[in-house]
Amino acid sequence: MLIEIKDLRKKYIMGEMEVEALRGVNLNISTNEFVSIMGPSGSGKSTLMNILGCLDTPSSGQYLFDSIDISSRTDDELSEIRNQKIGFIFQTFNLLPKLDALQNVELPLIYSGVEKHLRKDLAKKALKRLGLENRMNHKPNELSGGQRQRVAIARALVTNPGIILADEPTGNLDTKTGFEIMEIFKELHQEGNTIILITHEPEIAEQADRGIIIRDGLITKDALNTTIISPNKTILTQV
Amino acid sequence: MQLEENVQAAFNGLREHKFRSFLTMLGIIFGVASVIAMLSIGEGAKREAIKKYQQLGVNNIIIRDMDLSDKELESVRAKFSPGLSLKDAQAIKDIVPQIVDLAPQAEKKADVKYQDKSIKATLIGVTPSYSEILNYTTESGSFVNKDHQNRQLKVCVIGTDIASKFFTVDDPIGQSIKVDDQWLEVIGVLNSKSLFTETVGELASRDLNSDIYIPLSTFHKRFEKEKLLSSELKQITIKLEGSENISQISNIVENLINRHHFNNKDFSIVIPIELLKQEEKERRIYNILLGSIAAISLLVGGIGIMNIMLATVMERTREIGVRRAIGAKKDDILSQFITESLVLSITGGVIGVILGLTLSITISLSTAITTSVTLYSVLIAFLFSVLVGVTFGYLPARKAARLSPIESIRYE
Ligand SMILES: Nc1ncnc2c1ncn2[C@@H]1O[C@H](COP(=O)(O)OP(=O)(O)O)[C@@H](O)[C@H]1O
Ligand SMILES: [Mg+2]
Repeated sequence: MLIEIKDLRKKYIMGEMEVEALRGVNLNISTNEFVSIMGPSGSGKSTLMNILGCLDTPSSGQYLFDSIDISSRTDDELSEIRNQKIGFIFQTFNLLPKLDALQNVELPLIYSGVEKHLRKDLAKKALKRLGLENRMNHKPNELSGGQRQRVAIARALVTNPGIILADEPTGNLDTKTGFEIMEIFKELHQEGNTIILITHEPEIAEQADRGIIIRDGLITKDALNTTIISPNKTILTQV
Repeated sequence: MQLEENVQAAFNGLREHKFRSFLTMLGIIFGVASVIAMLSIGEGAKREAIKKYQQLGVNNIIIRDMDLSDKELESVRAKFSPGLSLKDAQAIKDIVPQIVDLAPQAEKKADVKYQDKSIKATLIGVTPSYSEILNYTTESGSFVNKDHQNRQLKVCVIGTDIASKFFTVDDPIGQSIKVDDQWLEVIGVLNSKSLFTETVGELASRDLNSDIYIPLSTFHKRFEKEKLLSSELKQITIKLEGSENISQISNIVENLINRHHFNNKDFSIVIPIELLKQEEKERRIYNILLGSIAAISLLVGGIGIMNIMLATVMERTREIGVRRAIGAKKDDILSQFITESLVLSITGGVIGVILGLTLSITISLSTAITTSVTLYSVLIAFLFSVLVGVTFGYLPARKAARLSPIESIRYE
């Protein structure tokens, strides 16, 4: 089992107010699953995803990632896990604006200490695979939204992490570009990667193998998708 | 492992915010420049002083006959003081320990003429030992020797200024000049001596390059005393083997002469090395003062850097979050921001060094102040700027490193 979560809770304390964003989540995800997470705004999707990605820690409960108990890891160890085992993709891309595409993709490799030449080679390869070979030296503000998200995906993939966590990756993209990004995720899934993706759009969620719905910090539905719709078909029905 | 990237990124940031970076570095720039300029002034003064006192001899004790008015002279002679004399010199030579040699000298103001030119100069009667004891060398010809002294010859050695005033075309050696009513043959021209710009003890400031040196015996035989009651000698310079016991020996000398002069106190003793030490002590206080001022400006520079680094960390919270999310450790963030503040302070330091050198050269070219930049002062200033960078960059960098990854990446 790649991800094992038991009775996970997360409380935010803001002054007098106490918000319980996760109220006892149980979840198992195995390697090479393609999971979508849906739910209304504020239901705790991002909170869950950030804990899954070792960016945040739960208030209580257990999280085993790759059989490692995350709560007993040091900050440095968590950094290493994020660096080497997890690829995170955000709605707002989170590229560094002053670095060009290639430099952005190189970043994770810098932190894992990969030697310069190898690093550049790996980063170029990742960008090429996402069809950005002609955009390597463009800064984020010289790229379209779809291209930026591709750079972000290249950055997530470059260390070959095995699991991709994407928090509303198509949220800032138009429908067509969104589906193009989804095609990439599907391809990555076919190659053996585990994909967990948060989305608002049912058409996107339907493309995953397994659909989870969260409401008020609890999983209310967790089922395998029976109808697999090709993205092209969806676009056609929409147009 | 990522030093290169950090430095690269820091320089990119610096280029991107040229004006802001410049303002930030200003404190460091002025701090370093003032450290270098001030130290160079101090060092220049030190070298000047050493040169000055070396000329007087660091192992020497100088006894000067006091400048007295006619009335005062009458009074001391009435109280049995013969004034400074060759007898004193002989007694010192016989009694004082650790003495290498001594040089008696007589002095008077004289009118000097050559062809149609005439000037006033100081005529100095010396023994051959004089040149060795006081480090006099000739640029042409030779100094007064034993033969000149024994035979009371009418020869003279002149300072460079006199030589250049009188002998614009002729070779001065072998020419005769008229001093008061005596004709003297020029046998040597002295190398240039730096002039005393200030009075050292009883030694009045004067231009040593306008003096005329003749054998002491000739002086006594051929020239009238400046005043009727003037002493036989104006000065005795004693050279010792070393300077360790110089003040005790000077006490012995003082007692001896006091006895000869019946406690008339008509002479004074100058010990160049003690004056040098005294001056060094004064200069140390001055250096500490200047150093503190410079240190304060470096401190202010450091605070400027800290201020801007704190602002930078705030501004780039999101960047920090992103870096942490993709695997940067706390130490990676820490070193990134310390590198940035180091790049700021070192760049400021380098500009400061250049400004300091320029300042120091400008001062020495445009004023009478001598400056001397030492490698050591440049290193000190530079090290200080590095220190400031690390010290004042640490707090903001630590703040950056301690930001929670998730809080920072959500930061708007
Ligand atoms: N850092 C935080 N501090 C306080 N409250 C937070 C914080 N992050 C999330 N929350 C709250 O927790 C709840 C879940 O948020 P989130 O996980 O972002 O929801 P979603 O991603 O499903 O829209 C919301 O009520 C949100 O306001
Ligand atoms: Mg969210």
